[in-house]
Amino acid sequence: MRLARGGLVLVGTAGMAYGAWLLLSRQDLGQIAEVVVWLAAAVVIHDGLLAPAVLGLGWVGGRLLPRPVARGAVTVLVLLGPILLVAVPVVGRFGAKADNPTLLDRDYVQGLVAVAVLCVCAGVAVALGELRSPQRADEEE
Amino acid sequence: MRIPTEASFTSRLRSAAVAARVGLWLGVCFVVALGTGLISHYAQLDRQSVPLPTSPSWLYKLTQGLHVAAGTAAIPLLLVKLWVVFPKLFQPVPRKVREALPTALERGSIAILVSTSLVQLTTGMLNVAQWYPWGFSFRATHYALAFVAVGALLVHIAVKLPIVRDALTGDVDDTTHDRPTARSAGPVSRRAVLTLAGASALGAAFLYTAGTVPGVGRLAALSSRSRKSGVPINRTARSAGVVAAATNADYRLEVAHGSATRALTRDDLVAMEQRTCALPIACVEGWSVTGEWTGVRLRDLLDLVGAPNGRDVRIRSIQTFSASSDTVLPASFADDDRTLMALGLDGETLSIDHGYPVRLIAPDRPGVMQTKWVSRIEVL
Repeated sequence: MRLARGGLVLVGTAGMAYGAWLLLSRQDLGQIAEVVVWLAAAVVIHDGLLAPAVLGLGWVGGRLLPRPVARGAVTVLVLLGPILLVAVPVVGRFGAKADNPTLLDRDYVQGLVAVAVLCVCAGVAVALGELRSPQRADEEE
Repeated sequence: MRIPTEASFTSRLRSAAVAARVGLWLGVCFVVALGTGLISHYAQLDRQSVPLPTSPSWLYKLTQGLHVAAGTAAIPLLLVKLWVVFPKLFQPVPRKVREALPTALERGSIAILVSTSLVQLTTGMLNVAQWYPWGFSFRATHYALAFVAVGALLVHIAVKLPIVRDALTGDVDDTTHDRPTARSAGPVSRRAVLTLAGASALGAAFLYTAGTVPGVGRLAALSSRSRKSGVPINRTARSAGVVAAATNADYRLEVAHGSATRALTRDDLVAMEQRTCALPIACVEGWSVTGEWTGVRLRDLLDLVGAPNGRDVRIRSIQTFSASSDTVLPASFADDDRTLMALGLDGETLSIDHGYPVRLIAPDRPGVMQTKWVSRIEVL
């Protein structure tokens, strides 16, 4: 165990050092600085905006919603939340090119609405399932 | 508003038993993405000391499809993982220097792991949709940060190994490693969190990356590509600035082997023996579509200038400023019977956006290396 852990730390540190060297040696200073800005912004946006927003939803939901509805809401949040983030580049069509109709060639808003409806249906099914089997709640206590 | 402490987080869902399981799946995604990413990076090198195999022709399509799918699946998993371990952000720092130093090192490695993971998954996802809101090189940065992220992951696993082992061998509802304040039952069970995280990961990967998979591609509602118009196009002739040169009557395909050279018109090529081959265009962005390519076998052209077997071949394009405008085809690919200088696709004359007058199509090669608008073939 001790050996395995030591080995992992060694290989991991070497990997980080190699990656850092690649990062610093293959691009100009302006580009490297922009990568660093992205690395910092990623943590700030996740820890400072996204995570507190989800915490807030959980806090409000936990106080306002009855348990079966809360179950359904968690289902919708976990299924749909990440998909909404993943959908941003295609729904926004930010990479679209006027001369290339084979890129971004769907109606993404319509698709996203359909996916959202499916996720809400899953949430409703979970909430109804909870209402129908009250004994399940006792088992989990 | 006061700053929360670790004790402020009371849900029993935020447990090592959950974190270890989601982390295990996340680790699998990262390993798949790293392995397939290294293959893709190697396949795009100009000089490969050991060339990748030419068969099966769908190997790169498979590995790069897995790369993009694993990366997309990792997005929901990472978000759930970070939700589970979020209280750790508010852990107090030990006062004594001897204890504070290891803590600082560990937290530093976690910060590196989280930020590089978020950036890797985000930039990869944006690349699939060809959205580049940055000035750095995507390829160089994605490659470099992959080593940093996986290195930091290995250090993280080393630090957590005893807890991970306990958590994974124990029951999911086990509370051995839980904080004493994390006792309140959430609205769902731990098993439900794992099921939802898995479903979210599979759903996101399917919706975002399965757009060109036969049969089900139509349902992949968030994919940037489809099979609607046959083989998709990455760079158009207009954006490559080759329209005038590609349609000029003076166009010739030069084939050179030392001092032996031939200059062929498109009609000369059409007059040669035509072969048809079903081969995929497999893009680094993860999509792939197989087309029926018709054209002259590259080996037949090499024979015209008396080139022996076993020689690497440089393929140059009319296009001058892109990575794919000047590539080296390893000998095993150049001599393969399926490697064509294609003149037609799916029964029609090659369109200018697909590389008219003539393009390279070889088995098991990244799409970006399937040079379009070929102007010169040089035996090395």
